Amino acid sequence: MSIVAHLPRRVLSLTEEEAANPPAMELTGRRKATGPEHELAETIFAEFRQDPRHHEFVLGCLNCGECTTGCPAARFYDFSPREMLQIAATGDATTLWDAMQEKIWACCQCYTCNMRCRFGNDIAGIISVMRELSVVHGLESTRKTLAPFGRSLTLLMTVGTQVSSDMIQPDFFRDWGPFATGSDKVWDVSSDVMRKAIPSDVLQTTRSSWEVSVQTSLELFRIYEETGVLDMLRGLDPDLTEMLIDIIEERREEFQDARGRFAKEIAAMRGPVASFTG
Amino acid sequence: MNPILVLGGGPAGLSAASELAALGAPTLLVERESYLGGNPVRWHYSLLAPDLRPAEEVIGALLERVEGDARIERRLSTTLTKAELGSHGYRVTLATADASETRDVAAVVLATGFDHFDSRRKFEYGYGRFPDVVDFKELEGMLHDNKLVRPSDGQRPHRIAWVLCVGSRDLQVGNPWCCRLGCVVSIKQAVEVRQKHPEVDAYIYYMDIRTYGLWEDLYWKSMQEYGIKFIRGRIGAVTLAEGGSRLLATGEDTILSRPTEVPFDMIVLASGMEASAGTKQVAELFGVPVGPEGFLTPRLTDLNPVDSGLPGVFLAGAATGPKAIPDAVTEGMGAALRAYQYARD
Ligand code: SF4
Ligand code: SF4
Ligand code: SF4
Repeated sequence: MSIVAHLPRRVLSLTEEEAANPPAMELTGRRKATGPEHELAETIFAEFRQDPRHHEFVLGCLNCGECTTGCPAARFYDFSPREMLQIAATGDATTLWDAMQEKIWACCQCYTCNMRCRFGNDIAGIISVMRELSVVHGLESTRKTLAPFGRSLTLLMTVGTQVSSDMIQPDFFRDWGPFATGSDKVWDVSSDVMRKAIPSDVLQTTRSSWEVSVQTSLELFRIYEETGVLDMLRGLDPDLTEMLIDIIEERREEFQDARGRFAKEIAAMRGPVASFTG
Repeated sequence: MNPILVLGGGPAGLSAASELAALGAPTLLVERESYLGGNPVRWHYSLLAPDLRPAEEVIGALLERVEGDARIERRLSTTLTKAELGSHGYRVTLATADASETRDVAAVVLATGFDHFDSRRKFEYGYGRFPDVVDFKELEGMLHDNKLVRPSDGQRPHRIAWVLCVGSRDLQVGNPWCCRLGCVVSIKQAVEVRQKHPEVDAYIYYMDIRTYGLWEDLYWKSMQEYGIKFIRGRIGAVTLAEGGSRLLATGEDTILSRPTEVPFDMIVLASGMEASAGTKQVAELFGVPVGPEGFLTPRLTDLNPVDSGLPGVFLAGAATGPKAIPDAVTEGMGAALRAYQYARD
């Protein structure tokens, strides 16, 4: 049996009952949310602690700080993945609420912390759960934080982005240092693994991957619609959401038109062939 | 009486053998290496915590008792390749490089010990890549030979860091257990360094300090009397600094909650303890249950930590988990007594 199977799971997470009666933890001298803010903070806290991903991602913490060591955001901001993990495990709703106002957005979701964590926590994952909740509840601070990113979001959601196998080159990863980019065998091994991680049926290279197929972007958008991403965004920025829908609707029509034209052309091409053989 | 087989010539095995001889039992001590003494001799341990007595003195006393006793038959460079349960003990096959023989033994004491964790597996510390990142067993050798110098250039280091829990308490390498000794040995090493070279700065990076029981005294003294600095948090990566002449340790000071970068001349890794290759091998030969950590599991860890639960098979020392020398010696005595009782009845 694997040793991991011997480790207790769900130690820090709450059951539904526990979440309904949050631990009476009082951080003495700390600000306490009051009024409607307090209510929302408590709601978010309960939802967060009952989220099944909380059970999966937050296992425990030795406070070793190795996650912070590798964290690019920690070098520039008053932010650390270790602190985020501690906040994810705290029984104090205001502490979670405060972290969700600004801190959670310092993370660039590089997942280095997860690679380092000796307890096996999914720190990047639990940060993204906090982000999701802040978007779902349309927090004013989140609206403000994300406002400058409307343009990137528009492009990302209407066009998408692609990775191609030939992007995994030492030249593109100079910041990894000579160890990773030099003649060292480690680079060959790890870059090989990364290349294999890209599905081969994409079959794109850096030259062709900039041209995104209309069909793919429509399919992507369909996923946003079906999985509730769009509804989530609507709560935060209704104008942007409507604009995205307009763009995609237009593209859908164009796509249908093109399809119709294409079908006619094919039929026209087939016509003479058919009469010829007939 | 057929002899009682003691497998492994480290502290636990030596203790078991000398105790068996004292009880008047013929004893067959088998060791796979060409010398007796186990890891302390193999790695030239210097002073032993917590009394700071030279390892040679401690292990030497055990060796003397075993080597000076005619009732103990010693077989070096020998391994066990087969074991079959008979009506009165086991029929075992012993092999050297060029010969093998079959012997009947009345009972068996497994004292096959541990191996140090291979620190190369924590690649972010650069062990095996940067010569001045050393394993603490290598530092033991340096201290023992009174040669505290950087392997890269033979110069005396000005500032040394110890990193605790390397390959212990770490799921990344699949070893979530505590090594029990890394803390006290590292603190002891830092004290030893400061005693001999007060000009050398010593930093210990830790998650928890586990100088359990009376050993706590050494921890307190290390701060009070030797000015050793403790940083709560781990080094997470080692790179080169100052044109490659020094090491740069990146970590988090978890008390101040900030990432830190400190240049060091030498970094010492407190590598953990794993069940030795020999321990894994005898587990298979005798069918002794093995826990998820890879160590042998006694039948009753609380009431009788030296009985395997199999007829005539007894356990001692680090084969059942990380252990300090005094504990290994005590278990050697316990296992000897139980093996003697079994052989006699
Ligand atoms: S995923 Fe976020 S928290 Fe984790 S290392 Fe990257 S930036 Fe830091
Ligand atoms: S690496 Fe894991 S165990 Fe260590 S401080 Fe970060 S979350 Fe906690
Ligand atoms: S004894 Fe100390 S160094 Fe060894 S694993 Fe335990 S806490 Fe870490």
